[in-house]
Amino acid sequence: MLTPIELSDAQASSLLGRTSPLVKLALAIAWLVGLAVIGEPGPPLLLAALAVAAGLSIGRVPPGNLARGLAPLVLAATSIALANLLWAGANTDPAATELARLGPFRITREAAEAAGALASRVLAIVAVGAVFAQTTDPTRLVDALVQQARVPERFAYGALAAYQAVPGLAEDLVTLRQARRIRGLRGWHPRLLLGLLVRAIRHADQLALAMDARAFGSGPRTTFRPIRWGWPDLVVGIGGLAVLALALRI
Amino acid sequence: MGPSGSGKSTLGKAVAGLVPRDVPGEWGGSLRVGGLEVASAEPAEVAARVGILFQDPASQLVMDRAADDVAFGLENRAWPLEAMRRRVPEALGAVGLGGFGRRRGTRLSGGEQQRLALAGVEAPSPAVLVLDEPTANLDPAGADAVFRRIAELRSARRTTIVLVEHRADLAWPLADMILALDERGSPIALEPPARMASRHGRRLAGEGIWLPADWTAPARPADGAPPGSAADGRPIVEVHHARFSYACGVEPAVRDVELEIGAGERVAIVGPNGSGKSTLLRLVGGLLRPSAGSIEVGGADPRRLPAPLLARLVGLVFQDPELGFLGETVAGEIGLGLDQARASAAGELLERLGMPLEAFGERSPYRLSGGEQRRLSVATALARRPRVLLLDEPTFGQDRRGWEALASILDELVEEGTAVLAATHDARFAARVAGRRIQMADGWVVADDGPGADDDPITGTHELLPAAGA
Repeated sequence: MLTPIELSDAQASSLLGRTSPLVKLALAIAWLVGLAVIGEPGPPLLLAALAVAAGLSIGRVPPGNLARGLAPLVLAATSIALANLLWAGANTDPAATELARLGPFRITREAAEAAGALASRVLAIVAVGAVFAQTTDPTRLVDALVQQARVPERFAYGALAAYQAVPGLAEDLVTLRQARRIRGLRGWHPRLLLGLLVRAIRHADQLALAMDARAFGSGPRTTFRPIRWGWPDLVVGIGGLAVLALALRI
Repeated sequence: MGPSGSGKSTLGKAVAGLVPRDVPGEWGGSLRVGGLEVASAEPAEVAARVGILFQDPASQLVMDRAADDVAFGLENRAWPLEAMRRRVPEALGAVGLGGFGRRRGTRLSGGEQQRLALAGVEAPSPAVLVLDEPTANLDPAGADAVFRRIAELRSARRTTIVLVEHRADLAWPLADMILALDERGSPIALEPPARMASRHGRRLAGEGIWLPADWTAPARPADGAPPGSAADGRPIVEVHHARFSYACGVEPAVRDVELEIGAGERVAIVGPNGSGKSTLLRLVGGLLRPSAGSIEVGGADPRRLPAPLLARLVGLVFQDPELGFLGETVAGEIGLGLDQARASAAGELLERLGMPLEAFGERSPYRLSGGEQRRLSVATALARRPRVLLLDEPTFGQDRRGWEALASILDELVEEGTAVLAATHDARFAARVAGRRIQMADGWVVADDGPGADDDPITGTHELLPAAGA
């Protein structure tokens, strides 16, 4: 989860890989807004399936990678749905239609429908998010934000550098715990977080120093990786909106 | 040149225009680079003239991929795209990283990362290049590669180079002038190397500054140092077929290691970055669970010992001292968990390492120089008089005085029966302190001249661990 996703050359040169991250981001948001207005479980499931299919075909994401990215999130979505099914308010409503009894639990049709709608929506969100992440190189996302959306450079590239430091911080936390143990103290303690914070701030300081020393933010800047709008943006953008419109009609 | 804590790095940062703007403090006097007063100049104007390479390679790589990182400084100076596309592969090739453009910085070795950072700094062809102990964190092969490039830049004579470096044997032959600082940061002399050695050699040595001859003289155990081998009795450390991987399906960091260390024995682990030295130390220290095999320290599995017992048995100095600090002040750090008697002994230890509590006690461990931080972390481990002392690169960035104090304190500990296991790139330290040398490569122990091994010297060791001055 913490390590930045690595795109193969095939993924980067696929249709979704060449689409501007901004188009994909806008589509993902449009789909999520669309999902919020749908009450039925059917359309979100269709969108989830289409997102996964698009990731595998026009995104050329290896199925194994997608499965690994999705598995923990699908598990989380399932447990949310199950909790909503078992402890829904509708289950205690005597007027509700009883479907089954599992030990102490009474399960009603109303609760099952609500849980199903929720689960399908969470699944769709998870699928759209995973496909976006698996087809988008973090550097390219930031390049697009700066060049196409005019996000301030200092913020965008600073955030990118910070994001790339996260795996290193996870390693530091392990070492901090080990350092406590070897000095005779228990492994977990709130002070650990303080140590990690000190570490993160110092790393950020050093990185800012290195960036300043390389003339970052000193004036107008050119770009080594120009991003231009192209036909993949048009195709994916229109296609994605059409699919959403279709799903909303069902 | 200057002893640890003399302000070498601060001076280097000042030349690069980072003091006082990015490093807070009081500023007086004048420092001009290319006629430009750095303290009052625009950051962009200074950055256009000066590039600086820092000690830690990982904290200066900004972008994910190598080519993007080299291009970062060019983008900031608004180079046209075509010029960048020509310059980036050229700069990568110059540091021996041709064809590495698409590689990720985080996946490179420490030596490769430092050369990548150098490529990024020299790509815009700055008039002045500041190199702040650029090889302190590198293994001998990585350090050699960086120094080869520095020598090339020096011969090209297009760049003014300001080099902060303890390795006098490598730095002096490249220098036109040497500025020596004393421990208070005042200049001792500014001379060409030959005159510096003849006129000020003695003063420099007295200040704890390394001289080229210190590195080329053969290092051997000091006279009267204990032999450091206890053949009788049960070994204090027993490692049998130990193996360790950091994650499932990842190449093991340590493979099938067999190792026995007696009480009072001194062992150096040598080998390139990433060969498994630090992992082996952490396994012996009970901080990692071996994926196969067994490890016993003092007859017990160190993983199962409660922390207070483990701390009395084993001391470990991490490669990055900052990660080991738990106190808010130097005094708090050294006294942590110690009784009165031990705490005062710890104070004496710090004094011998050149950091008396009167001067350093109230300072924050994070505000010390690199060399001081390392000595503090060594002192915290030594203070407990553990039966096994594990050291991960204890001599990085040490001046001569700190180095010698450390070596003689280790001699005393060994005499009391402490076993010392030190991972080190410092061939002189290994020769001075260790009675036995273990060579690691790719997680294997490939050579061990300890008891039970052949009497013949290890073949190939000298190629892998070049003698100082090579």
